[in-house]
Amino acid sequence: MRGYLGIDIGSISTKGVVIDENNNILASEYLWTEGDPMNAVKRLLKVLEKQLQGKDVNIVSVGTTGSARKLIGAMTNASVVKNEITAHAIGTTTLHPDVRTIFEIGGQDSKIIIIDNGFVVDYAMNTLCAAGTGSFLSSQAHRLGVSVEDFGEIALTSKSPTNIAARCTVFAESDLVHKAQIGHKKEDIIAGLCKAVVTNYINNIGKGKRIQSPIVFQGGVSKNVGVKKAFEDAVGAEVLVDPNGHLMGAFGVAVLAKKSGIEKPFSFDVADIEFKTTGFECPKCANHCEIICVFKDDVLIDSWGNKCDNGAVKIGQ
Amino acid sequence: MINNENIACFPQWANYACAFKYICEKGFETKYIIPPPITKKTIELGSKYSPDYVCAPFKYCLGCYIEALEQGANCLMQIYGGCRLNYYGELAEVILKDMGYQFKFFNMADINFKSIKSIVEHFKIINPNFSLVKVAKSIPVMMNIIKTIDKFEDYIRLNVGFEVNEGEFEKTYNEFLQKLNNLKNGKQLKQLKKIYWKKLTNIKVNKPSKIIKVGMIGDYYTVQEPFSNYFMEKELAKFGMEIHRYMNLTNTLIHNKGKERKNVAKKYAKYNLGATANFTVAEAIDFAKNKFDGIIQVKSFGCTPEIDAMPILQNVSKDFNIPILHFSFDSQTSETGVKTRLEAFYDMVEARNKG
Amino acid sequence: MKVGIPRALLYFKNEKFWTTLFKEMGIEYILSPETNKEIINDGANLAIDETCLPTKILLGSINWLIDKCDYIFIPRIAYAHGQQMCTKFLAQTDLVYNTFRDRNPKLLFYDIDNKKVTAERKAILKMGKFLHIPKNHVKLAYILAKQTQLYYEMFRCESQENVVKNSNKNKILIVAHAYNIKDKYVGEPIIEAVKNLNCEPIIAEYFNAEQCIQASRNVSKTLPWGYNRHLVGAIEMYKDNIDGIILLTTFPCGPDSMVNDMIIRKYKNIPIITLTVDTQDGTAGMQTRLESFVDIINFKKGNL
Repeated sequence: MRGYLGIDIGSISTKGVVIDENNNILASEYLWTEGDPMNAVKRLLKVLEKQLQGKDVNIVSVGTTGSARKLIGAMTNASVVKNEITAHAIGTTTLHPDVRTIFEIGGQDSKIIIIDNGFVVDYAMNTLCAAGTGSFLSSQAHRLGVSVEDFGEIALTSKSPTNIAARCTVFAESDLVHKAQIGHKKEDIIAGLCKAVVTNYINNIGKGKRIQSPIVFQGGVSKNVGVKKAFEDAVGAEVLVDPNGHLMGAFGVAVLAKKSGIEKPFSFDVADIEFKTTGFECPKCANHCEIICVFKDDVLIDSWGNKCDNGAVKIGQ
Repeated sequence: MINNENIACFPQWANYACAFKYICEKGFETKYIIPPPITKKTIELGSKYSPDYVCAPFKYCLGCYIEALEQGANCLMQIYGGCRLNYYGELAEVILKDMGYQFKFFNMADINFKSIKSIVEHFKIINPNFSLVKVAKSIPVMMNIIKTIDKFEDYIRLNVGFEVNEGEFEKTYNEFLQKLNNLKNGKQLKQLKKIYWKKLTNIKVNKPSKIIKVGMIGDYYTVQEPFSNYFMEKELAKFGMEIHRYMNLTNTLIHNKGKERKNVAKKYAKYNLGATANFTVAEAIDFAKNKFDGIIQVKSFGCTPEIDAMPILQNVSKDFNIPILHFSFDSQTSETGVKTRLEAFYDMVEARNKG
Repeated sequence: MKVGIPRALLYFKNEKFWTTLFKEMGIEYILSPETNKEIINDGANLAIDETCLPTKILLGSINWLIDKCDYIFIPRIAYAHGQQMCTKFLAQTDLVYNTFRDRNPKLLFYDIDNKKVTAERKAILKMGKFLHIPKNHVKLAYILAKQTQLYYEMFRCESQENVVKNSNKNKILIVAHAYNIKDKYVGEPIIEAVKNLNCEPIIAEYFNAEQCIQASRNVSKTLPWGYNRHLVGAIEMYKDNIDGIILLTTFPCGPDSMVNDMIIRKYKNIPIITLTVDTQDGTAGMQTRLESFVDIINFKKGNL
């Protein structure tokens, strides 16, 4: 059976999905990037390989997306390297062909995608900082002594969410401490945080966008029922969360790899090959471009980062 | 009379340095240094000494001044405009003097253009013994340089995404710019223009029948200075698109079509919104009416006139069903973030174009 | 017919003028309430995120007014004191229309588009014509309204000058635009905080505009904005009578971003503190900074 592998490497988490020709998910995994995308992908591939054991699947094409898409694309000999906005849109429209609006909140970024007749017609991404994203929520959960998994359930028990300023992480933290000190209940603060994340999202990313049903909410934070509820209150419509919502980027890029028709040899053995990256500052002009070189078993296979030809690194020696 | 003391410099801005050089050297008979190309260091220097949330173009200008002063410039120049630009000159002068630099400053915001006396007095800053005849003679050549640059760049924007041999346009155009830097007179300009126009139009391009067209709008500096918009036009061209931009010196300084633009914008903005905001709105309407595939607005963070144009652009986008992507740059914007958004923009307009 | 006046931006420069004008023309008006959290939130929802706080307050106030009146009063003023204005005052009529377009807003305004002394009078007469009020009636109303505003400002200036002369407390000059210092949410908490620290708040905006603008020419040759000239001139005129300066600004104010830097560079001998109010956090957390600022002033005077 032919299989298509999609990998989504974000700053916080790494996701992998293997699909067949009918877009059925054959294997999937979600794990932490831990600041080392190469290692995370190696761990990911080991898990996926195990899940596929005895299924006779031959991976014919790989797609990568997420912030480390280029690096991992070079490492896995990918056919498709796509940005996460398109990957998410394709993934979602494959599973929910009638979707009109996609809310996405991930580890460090959040986006909105507007879809009309299956096409992306508009989108926006957060520009300011990590406030209101997954990493923000988990650090606040930690501060309150609550595990991030329980966060949503606790939020649902609140009757009067506390108002919290969440535009900026630093301010939100001081506001949170302040609100806790003057005696707000924990569940109210947690619900307030969920609400603040949503208000922040609607005000920044959703500004001027036509939000229409059906709405799908995905990304890591979509697992948080408190945030889902806050979204429903804010837009006054039902918000769908797909059980595979956290995998949508990887799924989307696997679909794209399949659609591309480009087949390149792939073997799970790359998990055992030594990959190295080196970064150096190009000294040739004052731009000081940060140039990244990727080595496979000490052979340079790719490089990028140069703004001009002076910084180009020759490949193949 | 030739002045050997002054070395003039205007901040780096798109590819116009050769025009400013011409008027200073041939008109005012004063030496001119072309400031070094903008790099990360320029903006780092500029940000370090600028107030925190002043608009980014001020920071670029200040960085350029510092680099030029270090190279020996001693007569800095600044223009004026309808927004914060009107105060760029004086604030930069005070900051640089506080840093200990010694220099003269030709600040056009300080000139009373109704008074010949005031104009002459200020011109004397550049060269105390300037000849009005020579200045007057060099102005039409300078205008021609600007017009030629804009004409060439318009053509390149439309075609560079489809060149058969990668890099040919850039190479040819850079060669032309190099020659302009040492231009002797108007006659030589005419020759160069003829030769290089032929060279540019002879470059092989391979355009498909259905072309993706994108319009660029935004604040005066950010839309024109490629470094400040993260070389967006170059990035877009790589996807194979036609790029259209109206905003340049020809269309604003030489043939100011402000009134005509205001009329185009009228249905959405009845009045002058300040600085280039009416141009921005009018361009968006023009692009939308001409069935472009998308519009990109680039602006410096906090640029008030452009921010005020945004709700208007959103209405244009709704009415004409055309995507408008907004970029707001400060000195800290992440380059990868810009690229991701551009890639997604391309995927979006390409899919719409096909569908 | 009822006119709604948003309590924001230019209102704080023209409060007596506008209210008297409508009263004398026989037109009923309502004012939006003093800025509160709800107005700020509504404004933030309606505005582009980067928009300055006073404009968000304007949009929030209009949101409150829009279903309660027939016309929203939103003049367009491109020049004041013969000087350029921040472009937001040029754009605000179109901005408001486009922001509320789906709710079909009806706008009432006068438009001052040149530097001439007669521009305001002409613009008001034109507005009177639009409202079908006899010309003589409008003229009279205009004169009365103008006088009222003038006397109000004169009185305000005189009483503050008395304070400057007679108060023994530390005098702190608060340099802020009218629409910031007089706003319940932005300026008032700062004035209160200064009073609570046993200091005398002196409001730059309350000094005579013409004199201040004249004085500002000694400080900066090309400063383009009339409103900022007024503030800078106030520092120049009273620099020997004050103990410290608070530069109170809202995020991200274009003119202030440059002028405040210039002020800090020109007045190196006076203790200066910059306070920036933004949409989310208001003036929270500024108490501590003000306390240490007053300590610095006392220390400098040898009182600590």
